Amino acid sequence: MTAAAAATPMIRMSGVDKFFGPLHVLRNIDLEVPKGQVVVVLGPSGSGKSTLCRTINRLEPIDKGTIEVDGQPLPAEGRALAKLRAEVGMVFQQFNLFAHKTIVENVMLAPVRVRGVGKDEARRTALELLERVGIATQADKYPAQLSGGQQQRAAIARALAMRPKVMLFDEPTSALDPEMVQEVLDVMTTLAAEGMTMLVVTHEMGFARKAADRVLFMADGEVVEDATPEEFFGAPKSARARDFLGKILTH
Amino acid sequence: MRFTRMLRVGAAVAALALAAACGGGGGGTSGKSLAQRAKDTKKLTVGIKFDQPGLGQKTPDGKFEGFDIDVARYVAKQLGVDEGNIEFKKAESAQRENMIEKGEVDYVVGTYSINDKRKEKVSFAGPYFVTGQDLLVRADNTDITGPDALNGKKLCSVKGSTPAQKIKTDFSQQAELQEYGGYSECLTGLSTGKLDALTTDAVILAGYAAQNPGKFKLVGKVFTEEKYGIGLKKGDAEGRDAINKAIEKMISDGAWKASLEKHVGPAGYKIPDPPTVSEK
Amino acid sequence: MDFLSRYDLLGAFWVTVQLTVFSAIGSLVWGTVLAAMRVSPVPVMRAFGTAYVNLVRNTPLTLIIIGASLGLYSTLGLALADDTSGTFLKDNNFRLAVLGFVAYTATFVCESLRAGINTVPVGQAEAARALGLRFGQTLGIVVLPQAFRAVIAPLASVLIALTKNTTVASAIGVAEASLLMSEMIENESDKLFLVFASIAVGFVVLTLPTGLLLGWVAKKVAVKR
Repeated sequence: MTAAAAATPMIRMSGVDKFFGPLHVLRNIDLEVPKGQVVVVLGPSGSGKSTLCRTINRLEPIDKGTIEVDGQPLPAEGRALAKLRAEVGMVFQQFNLFAHKTIVENVMLAPVRVRGVGKDEARRTALELLERVGIATQADKYPAQLSGGQQQRAAIARALAMRPKVMLFDEPTSALDPEMVQEVLDVMTTLAAEGMTMLVVTHEMGFARKAADRVLFMADGEVVEDATPEEFFGAPKSARARDFLGKILTH
Repeated sequence: MRFTRMLRVGAAVAALALAAACGGGGGGTSGKSLAQRAKDTKKLTVGIKFDQPGLGQKTPDGKFEGFDIDVARYVAKQLGVDEGNIEFKKAESAQRENMIEKGEVDYVVGTYSINDKRKEKVSFAGPYFVTGQDLLVRADNTDITGPDALNGKKLCSVKGSTPAQKIKTDFSQQAELQEYGGYSECLTGLSTGKLDALTTDAVILAGYAAQNPGKFKLVGKVFTEEKYGIGLKKGDAEGRDAINKAIEKMISDGAWKASLEKHVGPAGYKIPDPPTVSEK
Repeated sequence: MDFLSRYDLLGAFWVTVQLTVFSAIGSLVWGTVLAAMRVSPVPVMRAFGTAYVNLVRNTPLTLIIIGASLGLYSTLGLALADDTSGTFLKDNNFRLAVLGFVAYTATFVCESLRAGINTVPVGQAEAARALGLRFGQTLGIVVLPQAFRAVIAPLASVLIALTKNTTVASAIGVAEASLLMSEMIENESDKLFLVFASIAVGFVVLTLPTGLLLGWVAKKVAVKR
């Protein structure tokens, strides 16, 4: 690999603006995420962090600026966009497993339909992934039969089945009962340790401290702080970050 | 055929229920003869067709005209009722017996063929006109000369009607039948050439031909016999005799022929000889 | 009761069944296509779907069926059967009627399906898109299968309505149950109630099991969330 290729960031956003009607939800965002980096995005609700995450695979279109994934600008709707999305894994707050398909069918679906992988091979891979996230025994159940934590781990397996270059997590533990949060975070921590490029929107400070390479703090649609976890949690520079941390940590 | 049996049992049950439910009504004019009622009240209610050109038609401005209307008025007059005191009611084919039985109308003059089945429920006076099933074709048609020349032809009639059933049973080998809800749809197909002939009672066809001058003509070979009678409540012998007398008078004083010439004559329809009143 | 054996009730209801089955299959296909158009991201398709549904759904069925016969065939000359077969009118009328029923019933299938699509959470489609499925795949693999399961009961109502609506085909001479009823009324004026009752019973025999069966299926395949 040449030096130039290695230097291509996995995600690059420059001058990104996004409005919801009169609401300016993303303000002039500039961001580069190098390959292999684990970025945790923190911030109060309404700060635009979820929207930021969703613009990267164009679930939310942007109004101004450019976004590149692995050096490739995001295409408009259509085949090219579908192809790019196939390489960007996404995990949602509400899991969004396909309710009419079993767990293993959920994991197999995209490899078979998008990549054209044979069914037997897709099933084998799917079962390996379910094994990895610890729910192989639930493979033939329907999503509604699983606990929230199990469903979220299945959703991670489903995203991983496409062998993505980067994984986006949009508040993956916010809809979970407290006792199930850790099992999901464990899977994510393992993934981070394996070198996956990740962008994680979360409120889990423990995860940010332990697994993140970098913390972004957002407020009112802007990136207010961009620091290592040690710097951010040890000595936050902005008043808003101090205020935020004060509220979170005394909880 | 278990299905059929089941259907029959179900039908019987439903019919009984309906009969029980409806049994209480009707009978409003029971007892007295319609001739007596006409004399007493100077009013009559008559069932007619509203949509039969030349015979019984309600015009857009609310008037009634046609041969059946003239007969109805003539009879009323003989019974002592003025034209203005006749109330005309729309009598659909399937409704006629029912309306007479329940006393909704005093009598019906509406292309009403006399037959034994109907006589089980109503009495008839007349006949006041005898016609038969004929064919109406485009004016320029030459190859349909009668019922024997229907090979490969497309005929049209009103769905379920006796003329339509006659074609199905007697001519289904030669001709195809198009059934529509009304004669006007048949005329559309006939004028665009998609259909070759319209078939029903000759006098009805004559009415349509007269309504569309120069476009259609009657073939003029009737192949059934239909005797139009005036329907009234079963067993009203006095009323029937009075109506019969009126019909005979209408025929003998020339009003009968004059009315036919006015309403169905323009189509070139040859007016048949008047019938002999035979319902006694 | 012997008069019933003089009529081919079974034959007439068989035509009713055929009209219903062919029209149902056609409406399901065309209705699904219309629903796909109405939720598609292409504005022209959405506009067509909306215009079609609003126009056809609000036109009386009798008008559509008679229009198919008088307009498409008598005036424009559209023939859907072999003119020399000797059964041309019978076949052509049947097919024109099916065409009319499909055009009409599809609008109701489309609207039921659209309601069903709305019961599928947005996240289902987002997850599908995020995995790289294209619009058609998202709709066909993820959204519609769930939407269908949600609307089996309303679709059963559409099917029952269609079964009864097939009586309109008698207006252009298709020999189904209600046309036979017209003949029976003409000939059996003394047994009107029996005639009505036997036809009514026939329709209940057709539609009641349809409703029960599809109600059971709806419960069976319901998507648990």
